[in-house]
Amino acid sequence: MDRRTFLAAAAAAALAPVAAFAAPERHLLQMGGYPLNAETPLELLTDYLTPNDLFFVRSHWIPRMPDPKTWRLDVNGKQLSLADLRKLPRAEATCVLMCAGNGRALHEPVLPGVQWRYGAVGNARWSGVRVRDVLARAGVGKGAKHLHLFGSDDPPGKVPPFHRSIEMEKALDDCILAFEMNGKPLPLQHGAPLRLVVPGWAGDHWMKWVVRMTSSDEPQKGFFMDTAYRWPLQPGAPGVSFKPEEMKPVTELFVKSNITTAPKQTRKGVIADIRGFAFSGAPDIARVEVSDDGGATWQRALLDNRHAPNAWRLWHLRWTPKRTGRITLLARATDSRGAVQPRSATWNQSGYLYNAWHSVDVEVTA
Amino acid sequence: MTLLLTILLAVLPMPGTRFQQLPPGPGKAEVEAACYQCHAADLLAQQRLTEKQWTASVEKMVRWGANVPERDKSAIVTYLARHYGPGNRFVPVKTATLK
Repeated sequence: MDRRTFLAAAAAAALAPVAAFAAPERHLLQMGGYPLNAETPLELLTDYLTPNDLFFVRSHWIPRMPDPKTWRLDVNGKQLSLADLRKLPRAEATCVLMCAGNGRALHEPVLPGVQWRYGAVGNARWSGVRVRDVLARAGVGKGAKHLHLFGSDDPPGKVPPFHRSIEMEKALDDCILAFEMNGKPLPLQHGAPLRLVVPGWAGDHWMKWVVRMTSSDEPQKGFFMDTAYRWPLQPGAPGVSFKPEEMKPVTELFVKSNITTAPKQTRKGVIADIRGFAFSGAPDIARVEVSDDGGATWQRALLDNRHAPNAWRLWHLRWTPKRTGRITLLARATDSRGAVQPRSATWNQSGYLYNAWHSVDVEVTA
Repeated sequence: MTLLLTILLAVLPMPGTRFQQLPPGPGKAEVEAACYQCHAADLLAQQRLTEKQWTASVEKMVRWGANVPERDKSAIVTYLARHYGPGNRFVPVKTATLK
């Protein structure tokens, strides 16, 4: 294909009307064509391990295509190849990855940014090597307080690069540099060849396309540390904004549950299967409850026995509607530290960590 | 053209990607010239911002290096606020899953 033909084909693809494509049953919801951002339809998040092809994608910018032969991870100047990393003890974690902005579209007042609703979240088995083993292999001492991370997705011009750092204490505790996702090589859109896995913490810490790490006594500087991904020290009323110094970095996920499965219509007295998932920055979920009367009374759901620290719990409830009309089902989770999912989420100026009770309407006939 | 090619090459391998069109109207060409340097139309089309919020967003993007002639700014803000104001309802495009 010569350049002109290529451009014509590209232009034709760009101009093709969206409606001409039949949407597949199994699909993602595109929130940005480039850089690619897409969320999973909530009703498809029914597996304990979210399949790789259905897993939401969050990209700040476009990575360099990695060549596995020449690819190196630079750790304080020491170069490590993928083969070097694979010689280290294998580590694995099954845990939730959620974009900090998941649910941003549900915050009131409305905020700019990717308008994620429910599906910028998934649960996967991440395999690779421990950060502490990589740092030891590179001869990095344990004294530094922060670990700076750099991906290969630096943007053009004056756009701030997505450079981040994480507290060394967390990095050394349970963080993994993953090259596999659910037993398959890590897909490019999920950070191949190497991404950071930060169990229990929001996705902004889960650096993709990692190519460089450095230890430091100071946190990373820049827009994505000093302005973005921060949470008010003392949240105010909805619509109230704070200066960066009145905020701290977003870290642990809040306790949250979503309903993935409920009938749109059913009949009074007939058992219906209600399903969902629940997770938290705490290691486990203690209980999930469902209300069909606006939160006056709650029925306890059954938790699935599959679990790992910071993985989600699938749950289900056999629910029998006792009246007719439109019934709103509400779900709330309580985590293993006793934190209870709130009726309303805490509004914050960037729209992070939305975790209000999730509601689904069911039409009940006689 | 180099930037356009870079973007197309970066995007085309993703099989699910679909591109939307912005609605016609005054300011469309200016919006495309300014925003398509780094964003696809759908990132604009999902916003529900007031004119004040759109002004702040455009100013932020200019600080981040968006090449926006001063004379185009008001047409851009007017177009965005008119089409993607607080009453906007966005339905994401369904795309293929990503192998």
